[in-house]
Amino acid sequence: MKKFWALFFIFWPIVALYVCFVAPSRGWWFPSEPMSTLGHQIDGLFYLILFIVTLTFIGTQIAMGYVLWKGATKTPGAKAMFSHGSHKLEIIWTIVPSFILVFISLTQLEVLANIRVISNFPEEARNAPIAEVTARQFEWRIRYPKPGTTLATEPQPGDLYFVNELHVPTNQLVMINLRTQDVQHAFFSPQLRVKQDAVPGLVIPVWFEVEKAGTYDLVCAELCGWGHYKMKARIVAESTREVQQYIADLENAQNEDGVADDTSDDSE
Amino acid sequence: MSLTPSWNKILCGMALAFASGCSDTDSSFVYSDRTLSLMPEAQDGIKGETPIAGVKALIDERFGDPQNLKAWMKLPVDFGGANTTVAKIAKSAEGTPALTLAGEDGSELPAKAVFVEFLSGACEGEIAEITEWDAETGVAVLSDSLTGKLAEGDLCSIDRAQVLKSGRGLYMRHCSHCHGTSGDGQGPTAEYLNPRPRDYRHGVFKFTSTNDMSKVSRDDLKRILKYGIPGTYMPSFLLLEEGELHAIVEYVRFLSLRGEYERKLVNEVSGDYSITALESRVGQSESRESIVAELKEFLSADLAEAANSIGDDLAEQWGGADTDEARIIPSVPRVEDSVESRRRGRELYLSKTLNCADCHGMDGAGNGPQTIAFEKNPITNDLYNEPGLHDVWDNLNQPRNLHTGIYRGGRRPIDLFCRIHAGIKGSRMPSFKNTPHEDIWHLVNYILSLPYESEPGATGTEAAAPAAAEVAQ
Repeated sequence: MKKFWALFFIFWPIVALYVCFVAPSRGWWFPSEPMSTLGHQIDGLFYLILFIVTLTFIGTQIAMGYVLWKGATKTPGAKAMFSHGSHKLEIIWTIVPSFILVFISLTQLEVLANIRVISNFPEEARNAPIAEVTARQFEWRIRYPKPGTTLATEPQPGDLYFVNELHVPTNQLVMINLRTQDVQHAFFSPQLRVKQDAVPGLVIPVWFEVEKAGTYDLVCAELCGWGHYKMKARIVAESTREVQQYIADLENAQNEDGVADDTSDDSE
Repeated sequence: MSLTPSWNKILCGMALAFASGCSDTDSSFVYSDRTLSLMPEAQDGIKGETPIAGVKALIDERFGDPQNLKAWMKLPVDFGGANTTVAKIAKSAEGTPALTLAGEDGSELPAKAVFVEFLSGACEGEIAEITEWDAETGVAVLSDSLTGKLAEGDLCSIDRAQVLKSGRGLYMRHCSHCHGTSGDGQGPTAEYLNPRPRDYRHGVFKFTSTNDMSKVSRDDLKRILKYGIPGTYMPSFLLLEEGELHAIVEYVRFLSLRGEYERKLVNEVSGDYSITALESRVGQSESRESIVAELKEFLSADLAEAANSIGDDLAEQWGGADTDEARIIPSVPRVEDSVESRRRGRELYLSKTLNCADCHGMDGAGNGPQTIAFEKNPITNDLYNEPGLHDVWDNLNQPRNLHTGIYRGGRRPIDLFCRIHAGIKGSRMPSFKNTPHEDIWHLVNYILSLPYESEPGATGTEAAAPAAAEVAQ
């Protein structure tokens, strides 16, 4: 019976290992392939950590399996070895993990800086935020600058407004200004691997570059109240021309004066 | 071991939460306070050899309850479903019935069909699932054989009231926690909201594209659902599908009609047969028996008739809201935004005839003299406890500060045009439908420029928008 339990506890780590190896190719960890440039860097970090953790896991599980099996096959009455208070061991298991942690923290610095530090943002994105996204209980309000102008911090005449749908061009660096009208929210697009808290009183820049046209989820990732679950929107990534067309349509819709045969509208 | 009793409590609580919290089977419509202020016989009817229906029964008969919604076909609501007759009865390859259904009066059959409900004949009341459906030939293969014997010519309905039922499901999930199961604006989260969620039972919606005497149109409701109401807690439901939005709109109309029907029915009764009326009549030495006898007469003759004509009126009003006659269409296109136009708008704003400043203040900050005056409740004739303007729901409803750049009913010029033309229904914002449309556009231009004024009242002295600057030169 002892051997059964030893084998039982050795079996499960092997299953876990198998899952670790198979998961990346199956896409089990993530909702989709990363759809933004930053997403690749973030996934790279994730897999690096997965690799380190798996190695550590293998080491500790081999040690545990060895101990289990040795204990199971020991002749009755044999004396156990007392290893408590070994300075050598203590030093090893303090220093090795701290090296690993320092390694991880140094490696991720660059990616973190790319995501968070505005001076690291690509200049073309920094100079022309495409929209302001204001989180609000429980929706996302979008403000685009008046076509031909740059986005100002305060609303300007001619700015275009929409709700719960953000259109961004693909294969282009885009920056949005994120703010909140009430409590904390978080701008989270799982497929784009973008997640940024919106904090009352702050205008927080967020940048990303979508690689493939499509519709992506935008959800709130900070429990913001009873309606948190319904705070969903979509990010529509499309070609620059389609975005321009969308903005033009939005401008027309926003200037709607309800007169069917509008002669003053000769923008077409 | 001493923990056992409290653990029991927790487990019981969890079991209860699972039993009650995860289903809406126990939800029911509530009657309005005014219905409950009627004397018991008027509410519940008079029992006897020939029982006479009271107000509650008249409402339930027409509208049912959330689990068993009634489709009162008189109402202009898309309940869903298509009425058909059985034209041919055959058997499918699996041995289940394969019916050929024909649309009533040659009407077209729906593209999709999930179930069929039999309305007459031996199978009356039975509901059968449709496994295969051919919209062109009308052949429906049922999943099971029926218990009764089917005959050709039997009436049946495909997906009867399905739109209303799916609307109920969606409403319960997305709307009821604020707007309440009955649409009374008293859901569990309503308590925490300012402004309060809409109570549909007046049949009044604020932001409509229909003229001042008309009801809200379906498009208006859909617009509110899709884009939300900025400045309030009504969020956008843009991500719902078109069919889902339609179902919710129809269900909201159904709830509004139920509430309005109830209100109007009670109006007929409350004058003579409310609890307070009963008390004062008994005080004037009328005997209770004679009042009940009179009520009996009234309920069986007058009220039943009134109930029908109220239904007709509602059908006409709500049906009319979607017609072109009800829609506000400006007779002139928007006057181009310019300093002159804004200046004219400001003149109109301050003029004695329109008198916008009386409520919205000289500079549009929403601080006119009316906001500090004490108002009388038009129904009870008592002064309100707090100064300021009130809406028909008795909530304090102060005039908008026009500088915030938040437009609850939408920021398109046509939205503002409608707000001025029709007023804001249920609120103290009156209709200015007699103002020339060109003047309304000047006002719209002025109002849209207010958030960008360099200082209050500066309109006309400085160009705020580039377009305006060009005109000024």
